[in-house]
Amino acid sequence: MKHILITGNEAAAWGARLVEPQFIPTFPITPQTECIETLARWKVEGDLPGTDFERMESEHSVMSAAIGAAAVGARVFTATSSQGLMLMHEVLYIASGMRLPIVMANISRGLSAPVTLWSDHNDFLDQRDSGWIMFHAENNQEVLDMILQGYRVAEDPKVLLPVMVNMDGYVLSFTDEPVIIPSYEDVKQFMPAYDPQHTITPDRPVTVGPPVMDEYTDYKAQAHLASRNALTVLKDIQDDFEKIFGRRYHTVDEFMLDDAELVLITQGSMSTTAKAAILEMREEGVKVGLLRLRVIRPWPGEIICKALQNAKAIAVIDRNIAPGKGGIMLPEIVETLYHSNNRPLVSGFIVGLGGKPQTEARIKEITRKLADDLASGRPRIEWNDLEVS
Amino acid sequence: MYKIRIHGRGGQGAKKAAKIIGQAAFDMGKQVQDFALYGAERRGAPVMSFVRIDDNPILERGYIDDPDVVIVLDKALLEIVNVSAGLDENGLLIINSEHEPVLDTPAVVKHIDATTIALEIIGKPIFNTIMLGALAKFTNIISKDALDRAVEEELSKYPDKIIKANKDAVKKCYEVA
Repeated sequence: MKHILITGNEAAAWGARLVEPQFIPTFPITPQTECIETLARWKVEGDLPGTDFERMESEHSVMSAAIGAAAVGARVFTATSSQGLMLMHEVLYIASGMRLPIVMANISRGLSAPVTLWSDHNDFLDQRDSGWIMFHAENNQEVLDMILQGYRVAEDPKVLLPVMVNMDGYVLSFTDEPVIIPSYEDVKQFMPAYDPQHTITPDRPVTVGPPVMDEYTDYKAQAHLASRNALTVLKDIQDDFEKIFGRRYHTVDEFMLDDAELVLITQGSMSTTAKAAILEMREEGVKVGLLRLRVIRPWPGEIICKALQNAKAIAVIDRNIAPGKGGIMLPEIVETLYHSNNRPLVSGFIVGLGGKPQTEARIKEITRKLADDLASGRPRIEWNDLEVS
Repeated sequence: MYKIRIHGRGGQGAKKAAKIIGQAAFDMGKQVQDFALYGAERRGAPVMSFVRIDDNPILERGYIDDPDVVIVLDKALLEIVNVSAGLDENGLLIINSEHEPVLDTPAVVKHIDATTIALEIIGKPIFNTIMLGALAKFTNIISKDALDRAVEEELSKYPDKIIKANKDAVKKCYEVA
């Protein structure tokens, strides 16, 4: 174990290095490049002795190669961003449909046009229904830890699905933070060697991903159930993780929720800023708390309902936009609460597109508006970054 | 929390300077966050980098608009960037300049001719690390020893000769600042 100062990209590379993948197909894209460069340097320096490292000609080829390698039983890692993830899009469904436990880091970046290099969450939320398990990290330590947990979930026989670990570009990918690097021994204890059960080999010919007729529904239903299984499996994994590494993660991150009347729902790195703002507002007597979505798929609806059982008003803060609809997570939260005994008022705020900074002042402004909404009984949907609402 | 903002131009090593400050403070047992702000940047364009240092875990993120210290690597930036933005009377601004700069700021302003030191000792106008000697001299946020170790670690991929020249130049800057 060691404690070092590294970027989110390097934390993702460390996560991959510690699980000793057999294959890493790559294609560079800002802001992911440093992750791949780090792995490439380690390969040259001899720190990834059992890993084949291959530079492909596009992200579509990267995911295709990842699928081929995973189908013959290799442990596979890759990383991408933004337009690269979009180019992978059709192949992502093949990875999940063939039930291949690939783990990929996505360093989120807004989508073109116009071009931005900065983060928002549209790139990976556009893959929401691809059948991948989707995690979203708040800081660099969590990036590394989510990759370790990601392989455990992906390779669990009750799951067997690919996992995407998302982090915010720049805010995490290019920011140095203290990160604890676990030892190989502890990682081996947490995660025994991968023993693939269903592989393509010349000795035992099978067909995977073939054209089917009525069975199509069965395949999709099984993949759905496998994703739901991940919620149960994840609980055990989080227990094991705490025993071995001493860090506790919950499927949903709850911050000062117990007596909170106002609740902010956030994702990713802006949650850190929101927590700082909440600590200050608490000193002023505002009963505000935060729920951070760490696991986007499978959707932990019951856990969210339980966490929000005392809330009176909720602000869903979306760093994404579904044009013609609004924020993507707002309807997911509203649907979830529709089945709850407690139905708080829900307002939606669209913020931070293309990396627009989310400051403590902005979080406080959202909280004030939410308090107004609770007083008036009228929820709002607002682009918080614009002067006009 | 202690907040540092560095102004430079693409290619002058503002990002590296932030990383070295971060590494030095981390080495001293502090909580640290350092990063650079850039888009599709190219050599010569104004860039910024930032360091936050604290005894407790750091919850703030993003651009620093209320710094304790501002370091300016290139004096010509004064004409196009408001480098002293957010500095109050407790603030410190350290600028790479052979002359005392004229600046409208309540902060204490120090100048050091890092370019000349760089040309004398390193033989090239590379002054990002050298400026940190002045930071160690004027503040107690990073010690001279921690800075030395951080320079060595962050430049470890370069030949020993370059590392030594940088360390000598940092020492010179510390002495004359």
